[in-house]
Amino acid sequence: MMASLGKVLCGTFFTNTSLRVLSRYPMCASKRYLSQSKIVNNLNLQTCRVPATVMRHYSVKPPMTIEQIKKRVLLVLQLYDKVNPDKLSLESHFINDLGLDSLDHVEVIMAIEDEFGFEIPDEDAEKLHKPKDIVQYVCDREDIYD
Amino acid sequence: MSYIPYEIITHKRQVCSLYKKACRTIEDWYHYRPLMRINIVRLRKRFDDNKNIIDVPTAQELLKKGQHELWSNQHYYPHQFPSSPGGTAFDRDCFPPDWVLDSWHPLEKAQYPKYFAKREERKKEYIALWEKRWGKPFIPHDEH
Repeated sequence: MMASLGKVLCGTFFTNTSLRVLSRYPMCASKRYLSQSKIVNNLNLQTCRVPATVMRHYSVKPPMTIEQIKKRVLLVLQLYDKVNPDKLSLESHFINDLGLDSLDHVEVIMAIEDEFGFEIPDEDAEKLHKPKDIVQYVCDREDIYD
Repeated sequence: MSYIPYEIITHKRQVCSLYKKACRTIEDWYHYRPLMRINIVRLRKRFDDNKNIIDVPTAQELLKKGQHELWSNQHYYPHQFPSSPGGTAFDRDCFPPDWVLDSWHPLEKAQYPKYFAKREERKKEYIALWEKRWGKPFIPHDEH
């Protein structure tokens, strides 16, 4: 029964319309051609398109942009109780403008680490004096540029 | 040769590093968030009490004590970030270095003539840049 259905479907595959579908979605088409049961389930060829570009691998992070990173960094800093949110901007110096000391700076860096999920070594953390520097560091690390 | 220090680590940075590691250790031990916070606040109090010590030997003694305390309180299974050494995704994505392309067979290179022609040009540019900055490399005469 299955084999004969497959034969019939194979016959129908080489009509003009199905060839057009095959050329448009080459990756799905090979799959569809190989698994007969799938063909039986999806008899309506027009409705079973699965664009391959939509599929995402499990270990891939959601895409980030510089704007998003800026917003996330500023949000983390605004939620830190020793920072005055009114004075905070991307250009404000942690120690001179915001009045933090070096241990507060360590806490800020730890919060940023937790936010973005990677470790910032001490020698790099020393050089991050402004929120702008942190944004640049995260962009370099995640390989994001305009 | 790993015991040779490449830079002088200042006292301030050592204290900051100790504080960070101590905070992370507390986070490892206490998973209940309020308990973790209060312990970190207590730790911060201990650091703040001693922040005005100017006497160098006393400060170094305190730092040493703190490092010993951190070592004796270390967690048996500390949290690691995925991409840090010891994490689950450490070195997961490794990219081959650029010089690998130079070791291709000429027949393989011939499949991409345009790219490799440009690559040779860029190599020459890079060598010129290097010699402009550092001078000609010193190659000793072979006296044998």
